Amino acid sequence: MAITDTRPEAEPEVDAEVEAEVLTRSPNTVFGSGDHLTLGRLWIGASLLFGVAGWVASALVEANQIGDETLLATNVASTLFTAGRLSLVLLVVVPLMLGILTAIVPMQVGANTVAFPRAAALAFWTWLLSGGVLIVANAIDGGFGGSRREAVDLMLVGLLGVIAALLLGTVCMLTTAITLRTTGMSLDRVPATTWAGLVGGSMWMLTLPVLAANVLLVYVDHRYGRPSVFGVGANQFSQVSWAVAQPQIYAFVIPALGIITDLLVTLCGVRQAHRGFVLFGIGAFGALSFGAFAQPYFYPDVADQAVWVGFSLLIVLPVLLLVGAWVSTIRAGRPPARAAVGLAVVAILLFLLAVVAGALFAVTPLRLRETSVYASGHFALVVAAGLAAAMAGLFYWSPKIRARFANEPLAKFSVLLAFAGGVLGGLPLLILGFADRFTGLADAAGALHAVGSLGAGLMALALVVAIIALVLATKGDRPGADAWGRGQSLEWAPTSPPESGNFGELEVVRSPEPLLDAAESAEEA
Amino acid sequence: MATASLAPPVTRPRVLMVGTAFATAAAVMVFLGLLGVYLAERSAVVTAGDTWLPKGVTIPLDQPNIMLATLLMGCLSVQWAVFAIARDDRVNAYLALGLTLLFGFMVVVMTAYLYSLMKLDVAATPQAVLIYTITAGHIAFLLASMTYLSLMAIRALGGQFTSRQHDGISAAALTWYAQTAVFFVIWLAIYITK
Repeated sequence: MAITDTRPEAEPEVDAEVEAEVLTRSPNTVFGSGDHLTLGRLWIGASLLFGVAGWVASALVEANQIGDETLLATNVASTLFTAGRLSLVLLVVVPLMLGILTAIVPMQVGANTVAFPRAAALAFWTWLLSGGVLIVANAIDGGFGGSRREAVDLMLVGLLGVIAALLLGTVCMLTTAITLRTTGMSLDRVPATTWAGLVGGSMWMLTLPVLAANVLLVYVDHRYGRPSVFGVGANQFSQVSWAVAQPQIYAFVIPALGIITDLLVTLCGVRQAHRGFVLFGIGAFGALSFGAFAQPYFYPDVADQAVWVGFSLLIVLPVLLLVGAWVSTIRAGRPPARAAVGLAVVAILLFLLAVVAGALFAVTPLRLRETSVYASGHFALVVAAGLAAAMAGLFYWSPKIRARFANEPLAKFSVLLAFAGGVLGGLPLLILGFADRFTGLADAAGALHAVGSLGAGLMALALVVAIIALVLATKGDRPGADAWGRGQSLEWAPTSPPESGNFGELEVVRSPEPLLDAAESAEEA
Repeated sequence: MATASLAPPVTRPRVLMVGTAFATAAAVMVFLGLLGVYLAERSAVVTAGDTWLPKGVTIPLDQPNIMLATLLMGCLSVQWAVFAIARDDRVNAYLALGLTLLFGFMVVVMTAYLYSLMKLDVAATPQAVLIYTITAGHIAFLLASMTYLSLMAIRALGGQFTSRQHDGISAAALTWYAQTAVFFVIWLAIYITK
């Protein structure tokens, strides 16, 4: 099978026992696998580990701001800041979302595989290798503006590799959602996670290449030029900083909206009311998160222009629309007190806080754009919201991904940590952003940075606890196909975890909740 | 799930075509990003009252014109390949694919010749960095398209594509159209406007 091929509908007949023995003994089951669940697990595991490192880096950066900034050498603090920002997006949030989507989307759309499985595997391994290069290059003074010329070049190549790999993985996920849907599953019937994956993936396809273009210019100038403008140390990070700023930062967490929606409707045991509005809300959030135009390095006045201000203010509306839908779902169904639900609620609160903070950021008289501290707080809130939703999704789909329910006590502990970490990691910096208007706040800068550092540390701890909760998944019998007993979409039809090929034969899908339809038909019969 | 009313076998839409379309869209966005920076920088320099190209540098127009014409002829020949394979006319398909690859090779050679005429030092100015990054990026896109076409040609030689299933050739043709469109914008923004 070539890299451009997709597995045929009907697998050739093989002896199941022989196949199982070969698969369990061979390292090829991991290193050479194009199986969507295996690849999803690899993306998820690696990005969670990178996430711990990324939040620790953020905690150190904040801790360095306390007092006279002597905790870290200037170049180390600068590298940790720039590498931490980009890593939390490109090595943590996007790959974590991509991992969940790679694992779940084929099952949600009734496909037996991800499209282009070998390309999907190539994407993961390229990302991991490039991510390693990126970290090593940063560690040897090759961060943005670093003093070791070859190391900076290496870092830029690693960054280009990371972006290319994420794009390749996104192409596979998007193609799966577009072309491998089962009969009857029109686009308006796909589950919310798949829909959010389509919207988010499309935004990544439109914006990550622009980031790659910026990095390419920096690389060419730095590697082959004197450098002239783009490759000059002081200019390097400014050219890519739009990717971790408003509104682009929202684009990286779009799948979280779908995860929260699917999780709540399933665990509440109700059909999503006004589903069209939910899909519209996710789509509108995606459209308003397009940030490739907002590059302050090349367009210094962009934050004063109507488009940027409009995007920043209007994005509150789809979030309010979605929050309304989620609240009505919770009120209609009384969800169980599970960690997945708790994390979804934490993610909703952090999302609300983030978009309101983002809207205030656009109000020029507040003078919040004059220092970077407010933007840092906003960044922390958005990333924490995305990670909380992703953790909720991991606990929710743990029966499919891990073949067991996650360890519930530990998972519940991670809810508390994520809430405390998200709020403490972002809110103090938002408050400090008002220091230009309320001069007394400047005196409390040290204390606020200390709380911000604590919050980032708690987020790192939340991820560690989430990893342990998933690794120490509950022993005992494996959960059934419909592990929660309330499954609505097709991922709850096959066994937990699904066997190779996911599905046997499927009925024609006639609504967004095919499993509920089947259950109701059986009751009527 | 109950299997009371089973779905008929799924007729898959064009998986390779859709995947290629997404990848091509990403490639096009790279060039839009680069050209956006190019036009912003050019506008800043011109607004300040300077000329965009450094003194002593001239970019001839003959070679870019020939390159554009060659790429457009490539569009015709690659469409000829799609047309031929869709009618199981394999000989014409092989001829058309070969001709398209030849056109691509000619554009690569012409670009190298243009570089030798421009006398633009990449280390000298931001203008040079931008022009070389964008034009060399286009050559990389062209080479990727040629590689894709070559692979599909080899598959066609192996008997893979027919009038009923010729996704690979169509998808490779899509990348050719896209890189030609990108070159057209480069031709306008860099070679015509200067």
